[in-house]
Amino acid sequence: MNFLLTINKKQLIIFTSFFIFLILFIFIFIFLNNEKSITKINNITTNKSDIVKPKFSISGKESEIFITATNGNFLSEEKILLEDNVKFKSKDFQLISDNVIFDRKNLIATSDNESKFSSKNTSIISAGFDITENGNIINFKGQTILKIK
Amino acid sequence: MNIAKLIIFSFILLSFSTSGISREIGETEITTDDGIEVFQNEKYYLLKKNVTIASDDFEITSDRVKANFEIDLYDITSLETKGNSTLNAIKYGISGKGDEIWVDIISEVIIVLGKDSFLNLQETKMRSNGSIKVNNSLGNFELKGANSNLQNDELDIYGEYISGVFSEFEGKKEIKKLIVEDENLLTINTENLEMNAKKAVYDDQTNIIELFSKVKIVKGQEIITGDYGYFDTIKNSYKVKSDNTSKVKVTIKNSNE
Repeated sequence: MNFLLTINKKQLIIFTSFFIFLILFIFIFIFLNNEKSITKINNITTNKSDIVKPKFSISGKESEIFITATNGNFLSEEKILLEDNVKFKSKDFQLISDNVIFDRKNLIATSDNESKFSSKNTSIISAGFDITENGNIINFKGQTILKIK
Repeated sequence: MNIAKLIIFSFILLSFSTSGISREIGETEITTDDGIEVFQNEKYYLLKKNVTIASDDFEITSDRVKANFEIDLYDITSLETKGNSTLNAIKYGISGKGDEIWVDIISEVIIVLGKDSFLNLQETKMRSNGSIKVNNSLGNFELKGANSNLQNDELDIYGEYISGVFSEFEGKKEIKKLIVEDENLLTINTENLEMNAKKAVYDDQTNIIELFSKVKIVKGQEIITGDYGYFDTIKNSYKVKSDNTSKVKVTIKNSNE
């Protein structure tokens, strides 16, 4: 008797269905995994920043100023454009702005965007700023409002 | 229903009106057109172009201001203004104008410099083309320079150098001592007298104005000249003396002249 004739048809259908489902499951699993890795790659390629979350510091005579931002892009070997939520923080003050050009060699920071400075009992809003001489001089540019409590 | 509407309207109106007031009570607001330069190690900052400093007690305007601080930006110890400067402290009855105004907050010294400077201290008005200095805590003042003038309800004084001491009585500032000097002759005007001399000294203990060198007192048609004179501000009387080299001279002007 032919071997194939001895196989129960019902069992064959169940087995075949199970096998198809298994292949389908494996296929879907691999497909989804691939999708995830593609989005990861996409994320990496769409972030055009040279530096993600850059950090720098300026060592002043009396205190150190720490600089952080969301993104940073090299404009030249020394100059970096710091973008989004750029913070200058020392033990005495905090200065927040967007789009700050930071010169790593000369330790000069400059911005033409609205800047918010805050220290003890003091707040300053200006149209931009320059930080020079290792953080000793802060020049708030344009129309400026200083409030003292 | 109408009351509810009125309350809502009042709240809206109040919120709009308060949103226009940027400075809060107890706060000092400084505005500039060309920024602020902070020198952290040297402990001062420069306020540049169309500067206005407004607080509850005073307002200062100027082209440029240097603010010195002790610890941090809020802790201002003195202010030095330059160009078209004005000071207005209504609470203390002080107002002034000059090319430069220096305010030392700790020692309570105000100095106004430049041509056509003035400083009003309640009813006392001071003018000069040089400098006007008032020390509020020590209660003294000094005017130096051409066309210096001090004016109050009783006296109108002109001289190249005017200094004195004032005291506060029932919230009103009164002159206690006064020294006036001018090589080209000072002028003191009272209600009915004009006095000229090279030097004058006033003391409120004696209520006498003493006049020294090249003295001239003009009362109506009467002109008296000499080397020394005094004027009693209470009795409204005066006397002129001369040294050995000259004589007292009395001239009576003819009213028909």
